[in-house]
Amino acid sequence: MSSTRKLWLGLAALLLVTFGVLLWIGDEVHQQAPPLPHAVLTVDGQTLFTRADMEEGREVWQSIGGQQLGTIWGHGALVAPDWSADWLHREAQAMLELLARNQGAASFDALDAAQQAALRVRVQQELRNNTYDPARDTITVSALRAQAMAVVGAHYESLFSNDPATAHLRKAYAMRDNTVGDMEHRRMLASFFWWTSWAAATERPGRTISYTQNWPYDPVVGNTPTPSSLMWSVFSVIFLICGIGLLAWYHTAQSHKEAPATPPAQDPLAAFKATPSMRATAKYFWVVIALFLVQILFGATTAHYQVEGQDVYGYALANVLPYSLTRTWHTELAVLWITTAWLGTGLYIAPVIGGYEPKFQHLGVNFLWVCLLVIVVGSFAGQWFAVMDKMGLKYNFWFGHQGWEYVDLGRFWQIFLFIGLMLWLFLVGRALWPAIKRRDDTSSIVGLLFLSTVAIGLLYGAGLMWGEHTHIAMVEYWRWWVVHLWVEGFFEVFATAVISYLFVRLGLLRARSATTNVLFATIVFMAGGVLGTLHHLYFTGTTTAVIALGASFSALEVVPLALIGMEAYGTWRAQHMAPWMARYRWPIVFFVAVSFWNLVGAGMFGFLVNTPIALYYMQGLNLTPLHGHTALFGVYGMLGLGLMLFCLRGIKPEAAWREGWLRSAFWLMNIGLSMMALFTLLPLGLIQLHAALEHGYWFARSAEVMDTPLVHLLVWLRVPGDSLFAVGAVLIALFVASLWLVRGKAPAPATQAVRDGR
Amino acid sequence: MIEFYTQIKWVHIACITISGTLFALRGLLVQLGHGGAARSAPVRWFSYAVDTTLLTAALMLLTILPRAMFANGWLLAKLTLVVAYVALGMLALGRAHTPGVRRLCYAAALLAYLTIIGIACAHHPLGWLYLWLA
Repeated sequence: MSSTRKLWLGLAALLLVTFGVLLWIGDEVHQQAPPLPHAVLTVDGQTLFTRADMEEGREVWQSIGGQQLGTIWGHGALVAPDWSADWLHREAQAMLELLARNQGAASFDALDAAQQAALRVRVQQELRNNTYDPARDTITVSALRAQAMAVVGAHYESLFSNDPATAHLRKAYAMRDNTVGDMEHRRMLASFFWWTSWAAATERPGRTISYTQNWPYDPVVGNTPTPSSLMWSVFSVIFLICGIGLLAWYHTAQSHKEAPATPPAQDPLAAFKATPSMRATAKYFWVVIALFLVQILFGATTAHYQVEGQDVYGYALANVLPYSLTRTWHTELAVLWITTAWLGTGLYIAPVIGGYEPKFQHLGVNFLWVCLLVIVVGSFAGQWFAVMDKMGLKYNFWFGHQGWEYVDLGRFWQIFLFIGLMLWLFLVGRALWPAIKRRDDTSSIVGLLFLSTVAIGLLYGAGLMWGEHTHIAMVEYWRWWVVHLWVEGFFEVFATAVISYLFVRLGLLRARSATTNVLFATIVFMAGGVLGTLHHLYFTGTTTAVIALGASFSALEVVPLALIGMEAYGTWRAQHMAPWMARYRWPIVFFVAVSFWNLVGAGMFGFLVNTPIALYYMQGLNLTPLHGHTALFGVYGMLGLGLMLFCLRGIKPEAAWREGWLRSAFWLMNIGLSMMALFTLLPLGLIQLHAALEHGYWFARSAEVMDTPLVHLLVWLRVPGDSLFAVGAVLIALFVASLWLVRGKAPAPATQAVRDGR
Repeated sequence: MIEFYTQIKWVHIACITISGTLFALRGLLVQLGHGGAARSAPVRWFSYAVDTTLLTAALMLLTILPRAMFANGWLLAKLTLVVAYVALGMLALGRAHTPGVRRLCYAAALLAYLTIIGIACAHHPLGWLYLWLA
């Protein structure tokens, strides 16, 4: 059996087993999810909330932006509190105050330490005791707890209205006045928040840990890390070290086995004339640039809301474009422009690989582009109407704001996007088909490319697996299929296969060794990647198996990143292998940046928040966007830009490249991103971490920490880095525009190489 | 951020001074035929560092100061001149093709810079003139 065949079988077995386990875990999550009761009653039988209240409350929460305004169980936006942690702590404090007054004290603080300790134990027992009755499908609370719930409920009803008493908090949390206009909706929203906090402290039947693995950390309610969180964190580090050792051994054993390829004298791709459909992908890259610039604008606005709350330099922007919308669009546009770059690359490269232009391919490429524009404009319009309270709950799920971070589109737009991806799969697949059938040296890489194309098309379908009232634990499960498996998993396979294929076509790599390397890299990547999805789900109402598998396998995701320097060196060396490679210098430089940020953003900052014990304290603090920005832009954004530059070389082969602009853009974006990470996100995250460790998670997210001059100063320190980044982005936009707008011919490759000093 | 008003204001003033002095020196180097030194990477990146810090401090002051303070339009006048100063500065430091135009732009940029300082000190669009008349 050939080594390629063995690797294919290995990959097939790996995907079969890991997806089987992932689906089994999904069933576990479904079976063990915290119950959403028919009713919440007091001991004397009074109904506080019904399931309909809590479900409609969740719809209200989703319609105002959901995870784009504060977080639930740690997932979402970072300026407003985690509503479950906030409610839980407020409720515990309210119970302590009520008990102290029942004992005749002026307040809880007026009691001595022994009395306070006794009351804390009582409150903990009450909050942790599971009073869910499966037979009656009800939760019963004491009169004392019902009183405390009423106090916290009143606070929330005030917060989401335009009550002047809570105006300072709305400003600190970047919430617009009257976030929820209807009083009944505010009451139902509060009931949903209460239920999420109930699950966060209530112990599972027969266990001493809560439904959310004791998350959030709050000593007042007895929420502390579980033993398995610590144990599996330690194991995961050991797995990581083992994995790095094994991979280093493999690389050493495999090196020097094959002489490097001898590149041809001429650029092999220079002879390939771009087909009409390939040229038509140019408009995808114009859209990439436009969306990228708009995304930066919304990012700056979102960051600014952290200091001015509802205003932008004195203008009351929150009245027309509140934080939850700017953040929604900022995060969605990131995914959209990066996806558009990769879709465009797929459409551009497929005829090159297949060697022919399928009939009506040009029309298909144009039609898909129009569909993508309609989806962006239509879904964003729906989200504006939803968040501004102008749509109503009836249509929100289908056309408004679903409130799930990165998958915020209304269901109609999600289905439309899914159909678009199917069309993309069809267009790329049929152009690739002749190459798959050829069964030559490159057919394995092409096969992998096709597999990733199928996976990219189909896996977005995971985002259609939940309905309007699906349990939040299951929504989170499927959502991470999209965000982790789709974006972080198969796009990565696609990119690895595309880059390897390009290097083979350019004659820089031997097809045989490239095939082995790509298949092996895919196995290594997917070995951690598929079950690594679970590390996002430690605390979303799941079981201990999620902690064990998520911690172990996500640590393995870091293994290839630790050795990525080798890949970066190989990539960097490629540009010097032939004089004509100067034509591809800038795509390659961007690919090297991908390796750098893979190590720093995905590897280092990713692992910082990866282990269960670390994430227990860090989830939803600014250490999460530290990883998010450096990995999403650093890796996938840079990759998108690199791929775009490669395609532009072929789309406009005669155009002169303003390399000075590209050089400045490259360094400005990289330095700007580094400054954002080091001057703001890292120190701010560490301040929050210290606050969480000292007082509890709720405190790290509270206005007492986030609305302080020091935090504001750190946010302001984003301006220098962000300005450099923005200038870099404008330069790359000007560069792309210049390819069409400025006349001038590219110098001959040899001349260019001489000019570059080689 | 009102707590840090004094510090931010001084950072702003210090950056304006450094930025203006740096531009004057770089422009002088260009005039003396040492354009390469004026445009060398360390000098450029130092200039970016100063200018982005200056911008940060300016934006912070904008959110701290009451809007009524800008009612007479002095900020708009200042910002317009800043744009002109940046454009003239780029031309003076090498973008302009002839030495004569570079010299002219250098002088005009310095004049714009001094006018900006006057407007900022006077909090009035007339700048030095307003201070003199007052």
